[in-house]
Amino acid sequence: MKKSSILETARHAVQLAQQKGAQDAAASVATVREVKVGWRDGNLEKISEATTQGLAIEVYADGRYAAVSTSDLLPATIEKICGQAIDMARSLAPDPFRRLPDPKLYEGRAAIDLELEDPVYDTLTAEQRRAFTQKIEAAAREVEGRERIVSVTTDFSDSHSEMARVTSNGFEGVVRETSFWPSAEVSVRDPDGRRPEDYDYAGAHHLSDLPDVALIGRSAAKRALGRIGATKGTSGKRTLAIDPRAAGSLLGRLMGPLSGAALQQKRSMFEGKEGQRIGSDLLDVVDDPFIVRGLGSRLFDGEGIAAKPRSIFEAGVLRSFYIDNYYGLKLGRTPTSGRSSNLTFKLGDKDQPALLKQIGDGLLVTGFLGGNSNGTTGDFSLGIQGFLIKGGELAEPFAEMNLSGNHLEFWNHLVAVGNDPFAFSSSRVPTLVFEGVQIAGT
Amino acid sequence: MANDNRISRRKFLGYGAASLAAVAMSDALLGCAHAPADATKGGGASMGYFERFGVDESLIQRGLAAAMSKGADFADLFFQHRVVNQLGLEDGEVNRAYASISLGMGVRAVKGDQTGYAFTEDFSPESIERAALTAAAIATAKASIGNIPIQRTSFVDKSRYEVQTRWEDVALSQKLPILNQLNARALAADPRIQKVSVSLADESGVILVARSDGRVVEDFQPMTSLALSCIAEQNGRRESNSYSLAGRAGIELYSPAALDRVVDRAVQRTLILFDAIQPPAGEMPVVLTAGSSGILLHEAIGHGMEADFNRKGISIYADKIGQSIAPSLITIVDDGTIPGSRGALNVDDEGNPTEKTVLVDKGVLKTFLHDEISARHYGVKPTGNGRRESYAYAPIPRMRATYMENGPHEREEIIASVKKGILCETFTNGQVQIGAGDFTFYVKNGFLIEDGKLTQPIKDVNLIGNGPRVLANIDMVGNDLLIDEGRWTCGKDGQGAPVSQGMPTVRVASLTVGGQG
Repeated sequence: MKKSSILETARHAVQLAQQKGAQDAAASVATVREVKVGWRDGNLEKISEATTQGLAIEVYADGRYAAVSTSDLLPATIEKICGQAIDMARSLAPDPFRRLPDPKLYEGRAAIDLELEDPVYDTLTAEQRRAFTQKIEAAAREVEGRERIVSVTTDFSDSHSEMARVTSNGFEGVVRETSFWPSAEVSVRDPDGRRPEDYDYAGAHHLSDLPDVALIGRSAAKRALGRIGATKGTSGKRTLAIDPRAAGSLLGRLMGPLSGAALQQKRSMFEGKEGQRIGSDLLDVVDDPFIVRGLGSRLFDGEGIAAKPRSIFEAGVLRSFYIDNYYGLKLGRTPTSGRSSNLTFKLGDKDQPALLKQIGDGLLVTGFLGGNSNGTTGDFSLGIQGFLIKGGELAEPFAEMNLSGNHLEFWNHLVAVGNDPFAFSSSRVPTLVFEGVQIAGT
Repeated sequence: MANDNRISRRKFLGYGAASLAAVAMSDALLGCAHAPADATKGGGASMGYFERFGVDESLIQRGLAAAMSKGADFADLFFQHRVVNQLGLEDGEVNRAYASISLGMGVRAVKGDQTGYAFTEDFSPESIERAALTAAAIATAKASIGNIPIQRTSFVDKSRYEVQTRWEDVALSQKLPILNQLNARALAADPRIQKVSVSLADESGVILVARSDGRVVEDFQPMTSLALSCIAEQNGRRESNSYSLAGRAGIELYSPAALDRVVDRAVQRTLILFDAIQPPAGEMPVVLTAGSSGILLHEAIGHGMEADFNRKGISIYADKIGQSIAPSLITIVDDGTIPGSRGALNVDDEGNPTEKTVLVDKGVLKTFLHDEISARHYGVKPTGNGRRESYAYAPIPRMRATYMENGPHEREEIIASVKKGILCETFTNGQVQIGAGDFTFYVKNGFLIEDGKLTQPIKDVNLIGNGPRVLANIDMVGNDLLIDEGRWTCGKDGQGAPVSQGMPTVRVASLTVGGQG
């Protein structure tokens, strides 16, 4: 599908839905080109390449709602699914809260060039992609201890996507993005028979923003080799530092119950807690959609609501929720957007080695393994692995341990925050240090 | 939008209310739009269902010839049409409906262990040929194959998932009472139930695999699931939980007895949480009850036995075939043949027959789970485990229904044998590192066991262990095998696949419980 036509296709679908009897409609159309090159142990393992497309149409008919999506954009199909969506909606119960966003929420779209599309994309060749994967492997195989490497898998995947959204009450928006993701996974042989693995990766909207890909190979190999000889430590209350790459998922579990759906459905531990203290002063998080080239950056969200930076936690106090249009209407609250953009932590002034010195004795968590979090009560329990901290330095690796607590209590134990936010995620979380938290092991 | 796609490396399993991958609509809706006027061009043998989309023998010949044109060892075309419908009830009304229709074709060319893959949503001969040439480029020679003798094949006399009425013929008005009934009954079950949500999903999928060895297999693959979530309040405290029922089945799955079970269990699992605590932290004996405890097998051994990890030498089980890895009372299988189960298949996504594969026979490690590539690598027969999320993905070895066969013990005697430990009843998710062997699973409901008796209910705790060590540590196996009926979805390399799991009651002598205090 041509560049100019995704917006036209969306407009056309909205018109069709209205002609067929919908009072309101919204359509989103996307085309995505994705290429993936996989390399393993000196050989090309996999190449995959395709351009895919999709249309989603939401109809609001006689106070009722339904949505249909399809990968088939032939005009006859679009016409049929518009009719089908309306028929479906009419069979349902009416829902007075199901309306398009108030057009006022579309207003004030920022005039910022977020630079999410790299013009270099179209010139990237199969040879370049392959060269990246080979370079990553070569770097992994140069690290000290390389004779213990069992296998190195590297890949380079990239995509170019174009999305258009049109609503019958005046919203139109187009987003074009590219992204590039080199990665490595390394397995090593532990003398005890285990084959521990670890990985590393980078990602950016612009090819030139990627670090030297050799760093990814080296880091993945060092991480995997660092797992050799991992043992289970003892249960107890300890001080934990959480590595930036892992810390984003912990913040994500805290923030899940901030959704309008969770609030309205009475399954949020945060109900009635706006303006109240949730954690220590160091829990300070801003949702910032306007970071140029940021992985979560945007000018508007999936409903068309104009993006704005806002504080989520300010010095430990809960400031705002993630409320989409539907649950905003149900709750009688102004929608704020139901989706996070970039999450930025208020940074400390120390790097991780300095924080470890300050900790003296404890654990550095480099990864979580499974576990879950109960958004209704705040209880959580997560598998952890990483390294012991002894005398302010990293010591032997630990594995097969667990961290548990309740979010409404846990974040009060946050005693230090690093200056090292993770760069390859929309959650830009630095090293976090928690004192006196519950660990399970032997 | 940009996302952190590295997460896709994880091997995980999730339950119930996870979002739906896709949905559908009647094929009448789609069929007309696609059937070109010259649907019978080429004059070849009928290609069955996909003929309506212009797929005939000449198109298949052309696609396969292009895929093999650079000297691949073999190639396949995977055609898929899938219509998924989802209905949602919230705050007392069925007020949302979603449908998704996907139609596409993936083409794969394989040279040794190397895979070239491409897909398209356009079934014109030119588009299919272009995709096939893209995939073919994994090989670099020049080759031409003659006309392939096409052989339409079926591996089952009777489908493992026959339905009374196909989902595309089930009216919305037949589905609505199911959701409304569950809502009313859950709310009436106990005054503490404050909110109820219900979702009902159904899927009509059809696949056609055409291989360069001439084999062509078609399969009709229905799927459905029903999930009920409850939020309850007691003395200002809230708790939530859910129950799901799923299978490759039609609307007859939702019998009165089945709906009773869904309501009773969702309500009971929620209300008991008011009396539950997080158990103590540390190592202790753990009893896993019959049914969804099979999550332990999925994580502790199932993934590690997928042959792609072993052919690459990165699984902890890579060099253990023929070795004793567990007590002799343990036999573990992965089975694609259980009628109507979520993990059932008549044929896998590479056109190979499915079977019941023995992973561990009386404690001895027997067979990896193979796809076509690994079977060729090891020189063995494929086990029918080559699966993919959709036409947009190349197949990889995946589990189907993974369970442990019955053992000699009674459930009561297993519980009575534990002086101080926990019993685990329901689970939400799990994850594994296939090389180190460490795995976790999250327990939603259970009990403390004190002096051989169930005492205080427990909740929300993660268990963590090491696969081979935990299997060696299973010292009692019950005689009450149950295949769980819940909606389990396995994630691997960014692809979701429906699976089943089962277990008799077992005792693990020691596992780390991620509790409190």
